[in-house]
Amino acid sequence: MQVSAMDFLVEPVSGDMAVIRIGKALDFRNAAEFKNTTQEQVRNGVQNFILDFTDTGILDSTGLGSIFSLYRQVSPLSGQVVFASVSRPVQVVVQLTRTYKVFRQYPTVDAAQQGMK
Amino acid sequence: MAEYSLLIVEDESTLRRLLEYRLGKEYNVRTAENGVEALALLDEEIPDLIISDVMMPKMDGFALQTAVQEREDTKAIPFIFLTAKADEESRKKGQMTGVDDYITKPFDIDRLISRVNRLLERTKIFQTQLDAKIGQDFSQKLTPKTMPVVSGYTTHFYNVPKGHGGGDIFDWTETRPGTYFITIGDVMGKGLQAKFYAFSFFGYIRSTIHTMLGATDSPAALVAGVNQALVNDSTMEETFASLLLLRWEPEHNTITYANAGHCRPILVSERGAEIVTYSDIVLGLTPNSEFKDTSISMKPGSALVVYTDGVSEQVGKSDEMLGEEGIIKVVQNAYGHAEPIDAMVQGILDESKHPEFDDDVLIFWLERLTSMDRQTPRWFSPFRDVAEGS
Repeated sequence: MQVSAMDFLVEPVSGDMAVIRIGKALDFRNAAEFKNTTQEQVRNGVQNFILDFTDTGILDSTGLGSIFSLYRQVSPLSGQVVFASVSRPVQVVVQLTRTYKVFRQYPTVDAAQQGMK
Repeated sequence: MAEYSLLIVEDESTLRRLLEYRLGKEYNVRTAENGVEALALLDEEIPDLIISDVMMPKMDGFALQTAVQEREDTKAIPFIFLTAKADEESRKKGQMTGVDDYITKPFDIDRLISRVNRLLERTKIFQTQLDAKIGQDFSQKLTPKTMPVVSGYTTHFYNVPKGHGGGDIFDWTETRPGTYFITIGDVMGKGLQAKFYAFSFFGYIRSTIHTMLGATDSPAALVAGVNQALVNDSTMEETFASLLLLRWEPEHNTITYANAGHCRPILVSERGAEIVTYSDIVLGLTPNSEFKDTSISMKPGSALVVYTDGVSEQVGKSDEMLGEEGIIKVVQNAYGHAEPIDAMVQGILDESKHPEFDDDVLIFWLERLTSMDRQTPRWFSPFRDVAEGS
């Protein structure tokens, strides 16, 4: 299995909000990369994260764990982590772990931006 | 993939930049102009490999190599010498101090890169073998040696830990005569780290059950207790886990469970297989997560099948994960076999892309026998013996 895009694209929305494009996979191969990327954002003052799962075919438990770490980091700062455009494979994982109770879901990135204002 | 870090020590700036550029494509590269700077960088972070010039101002390569050899935390780092001095004397000196490679300038940079790759590959193999050994050791301690023996029931257990796999746990304990607590869980993450956290988590569950049992035997209350402990303990900050806790009372033929985001069990009988649906959120995420108990009544001939995500995430021939739908089918087909888990495993692997499991796999099959099974088999009947004998 070859997944080329291991980097995560970050698009700042405002000083404290950013969109992270998850790409094809978030799993044990690039979870550390995700952590580094988001931690750098947190250091720069970002507390609200919109994770864009449009293209995501794989989300394994290591990947999900890295999202949890981000949540644990920003929730004491009253920050939020929300999911946008959730693909079917991601939906399965979210359902199974019952994490939709913590991560709000929006149909699109735009809707997420509106909802988080 | 882990990215390796290199330390390049070279006083000549053109060569230093060239090496930084070429090796920087594949590795994390830091550079120093002499031995003194290099030692300062070693204090910040230990690299996976050092490439050093010999002739340098302030502190030369030999002095640096000696200093590296003297430090316990750096003496095992692969060391490559680069030098313009092609003479035998310095080469001998280099070999004496135990360097891994010795390259004479002018050199072919592709050759240097291939030597670097080879040395790092060797380091990686050692690391992987060591990890696998420790991982196996953890896994053995995380799974039980025996199964409960209860009349009217059979239990089957299957576990294949992989050295590089995740942190599956399974445990059972008879808390008072006739009451069993069965724990199945999965600590998120891969490799040795997950195994290590699983090991600590294992201790949490045992001690929580032990301490709280005087006050409650509700799986939901116990799971909430474990969650509190996980969230409040800063050393376990990065630990997230799914957990399924079952209280099994064979005399009443009931199983009461709380499910914290774990793979949902399957209940199977001759009428078919279904998912045991109710579950709550995974552990370690929020301090005030709520959990609920659900009771299952075990009818004669029915079986409860619990498993970890290595089963549901097994990749099939069409690149799709097995999923709950796939597991239901496999369980249905395995039902009725003398060794149902063997039949399940065979059923899964027959449809898999690879001939073995990709991840750690753990399955527990708990079946209530039908009343027929409990009848004395006919060939033990004394009447029949008498009848046959006459």
